[in-house]
Amino acid sequence: MSEWARSHRWEVVLGGVLVITIVANAILSPYYLGLDNIVNLFWLSIEKIIVAVIMAFVIINGEIDLSVASVMGFSAAVLATLHESTGLPFVAAILIALAAGALAGLIQGLVVVKLQLPSLVVTLAGLIGFRGAARVLLEDRSVGEFPEWFDRLGQRALLGPFPLAVIVFGVALAIAWFVLDRTAFGRKVYVIGSSAEVSRYSGVDVDGVKIRLFVMSGLTAGFAGVLFAARLGSVRGSLAEFFELDIITMVLLGGVSIFGGSGTMLGVALAIFTVLNIRNGLGLANVDGIIQTGTVGLLLIGSVLVPNLASHIRSRLPFGGPPLSTADT
Amino acid sequence: MNPGPEPVLELRLVSKRFGATQALADVELILYRSEVHALVGENGAGKSTLIKIATGIYEPDTGTMELGGHVFDPGDPASAQRQGVAAIYQEPSIFPDLSVAENIFIGHQDRGLLVDRKRMEQDAAEVLQRLDIDLDPSQPAGALTVAGQQAVEIAKAISLDVKVLIMDEPTAALSAHEVDRLFRQVRRLKQLGVAVLFISHRLDEVFEIADRVSVFRDGRHISSRPITDVTEELMVREMVGRDPSEFFIRTPQEPGQVVLSVEDLARHGVFRDVSFDVRAGEVLGFAGLVGAGRTDVALALFGVAPADGGTITIDGQPVTIGSPTDALNHGIAYLSEDRRKLGLSMTQSVTTNITLATLDRYTLSFGLIDHEAENRDAAGLRDRLGIRTASLDTPVDNLSGGNQQKAMLAKWLNAEPRVLILDEPTRGIDVGAKAEVHRFIDELARSGMAIIMISSDLPEVLAMSDRIAIMREGSLQGIRTRDDADQESVMAMAVGVA
Repeated sequence: MSEWARSHRWEVVLGGVLVITIVANAILSPYYLGLDNIVNLFWLSIEKIIVAVIMAFVIINGEIDLSVASVMGFSAAVLATLHESTGLPFVAAILIALAAGALAGLIQGLVVVKLQLPSLVVTLAGLIGFRGAARVLLEDRSVGEFPEWFDRLGQRALLGPFPLAVIVFGVALAIAWFVLDRTAFGRKVYVIGSSAEVSRYSGVDVDGVKIRLFVMSGLTAGFAGVLFAARLGSVRGSLAEFFELDIITMVLLGGVSIFGGSGTMLGVALAIFTVLNIRNGLGLANVDGIIQTGTVGLLLIGSVLVPNLASHIRSRLPFGGPPLSTADT
Repeated sequence: MNPGPEPVLELRLVSKRFGATQALADVELILYRSEVHALVGENGAGKSTLIKIATGIYEPDTGTMELGGHVFDPGDPASAQRQGVAAIYQEPSIFPDLSVAENIFIGHQDRGLLVDRKRMEQDAAEVLQRLDIDLDPSQPAGALTVAGQQAVEIAKAISLDVKVLIMDEPTAALSAHEVDRLFRQVRRLKQLGVAVLFISHRLDEVFEIADRVSVFRDGRHISSRPITDVTEELMVREMVGRDPSEFFIRTPQEPGQVVLSVEDLARHGVFRDVSFDVRAGEVLGFAGLVGAGRTDVALALFGVAPADGGTITIDGQPVTIGSPTDALNHGIAYLSEDRRKLGLSMTQSVTTNITLATLDRYTLSFGLIDHEAENRDAAGLRDRLGIRTASLDTPVDNLSGGNQQKAMLAKWLNAEPRVLILDEPTRGIDVGAKAEVHRFIDELARSGMAIIMISSDLPEVLAMSDRIAIMREGSLQGIRTRDDADQESVMAMAVGVA
């Protein structure tokens, strides 16, 4: 146990913060532990949560995808446009919208891998480009009037006694944990993030893994966009705008290194719970939205930058061996 | 030819140590006014360390330095330059977007706040003329060839009035014609009273340009003599002279079938016309200087930087190798010379590193990794190679250099290659670990593996190889059997005096 705690120091800290948050919220608000509130807690952020899970893979792999919120908007806009102006069955429109998200990821992944450009730049272009595409498709209209079953999907659906959002989130987390921690693909994600060159020199298909991650990121963003459309009941070109900031915050707060190579799904899950509970508690206490955002921002600065910087600095210190290769002296 | 009696730079009893490596031990070097002093030695002789000490990048652990009779304490390269010692390297460090004139005067702090471009270009033209360099001071330096950029650096040194100019392998990237022009500039520097310290692997150039020559070996000063008192044979002998008896003795055995055969292999601008065979159970050594193209041939065989000419044949079948995956599928593995950057994922565990190249073997349905199987194999290799580690879950970063080297070897042994390419397999590890690595190489050869061993450690190549391929400047100079190779003849081929 102590061995585990030593190598998962950050998860232990996050767990502590989460417990304190929950206790404080429970004391401060009588509604906090109610079923309604717990459903709300997840449901209002379900899209961000799902995308954060895949973002963890991308960042551990040593890349980043800034375009996710724009791809969410783009997929939702594709869905709304097809629904509005074609007679396509709605399910087909959903599938095309998901494919559009995956394609957005594929294009960006190919550019990153084949042109060897930093994903920061490529997906920044994607952020602007796919948001632009969403706005071109919808101009300044709000498109809605979706089939009833779709709208109902977006309400606080319960599966038996369990809120659907909690189930979706739980399943997504379980799959993500399994893939990252137990499969060869997950192993490659870590090793490539820790050193792409070593992986290449070991016969690992570095480019293939990266492209698959970008496709998964795009597809997941597309799914989140469609889900968001169901929840809102209508789509605008600005759907999910700026969500990428919250999503990346959750992942980094979870202890995933922005330099790649380290981080756990448990940490990301704890960070998501923590952020949701802090926001929820502040909301119940009627704290202004801007201050809520500010609080989460402070949490990010205080808790993400400090350990990341510390481990970064540690990793740059001499390793006890000679500071320079002895060859060619 | 008789050097003047006026010493400019005097280094005495200078020592420098990095961790376990004694880079320089009590060396002495004296440069006189108006001389070209060549410094020669194998890789690892301590030449680069000496340059870095003289230009203030490193501080010596012990020893004294005097410049023009006064204590010389450079502190940093800029201050060394101000006091009169500058260095230029094979890759010039110029500002590509600035003009030739601006580059020449970049180090001067006494030109006032505003730049008088016209005046500066006139001054630059004057300096260039003094050196017989034909360059337009107003053109951007980035557009010049390497030789042109070096000329700018030489002009910069002259404009700073340096007393000592160190040239580290300045001819490595130059054509023969450009070398002639560089040497004219060097002779002009001499006339201007500058002491030039000239470092080169090419002994013919040393004989052409130097007045005196010093030999370094393993961080020690071996000799300093007027060039007229030295022969090539003597210089080579002094460069390599080590006792080969400290090395492992190979178990004699008859090699088997040819496994890998390479014909006229080439990669444009890097190496050409490389042909050789390796048999099962044979160690083929690759000797040569750093930059001779040995690693490039290995990278072509491993698919990292594929060849663009020639053929590779495995077991008589021609194959195409376009990626490391191809190479591994054909049974070729490559142990990199750069353990930290290319060999091991430092933050990952011992097991993860050992099974990295063979992950497919441990993959069950749904992509699940069979942890038990991979830990079993990793433990087997740990015991077989004697890797000392707290546990298999320990990050390899926590292991000593020798144990990291063995972990890297374990990764490739786990792939069970037919051809194993070892690039500097004992670089930077201690004597004990070195002996262990040598024992494994012998054991692997006995088990029928075909081994290619690249090493800049000549006694190691001679002790471990059945045959020795010698490369120089991107081409194969010849292949010698162990019986008709010795240090002098191999070194002579590697430096091109044979």
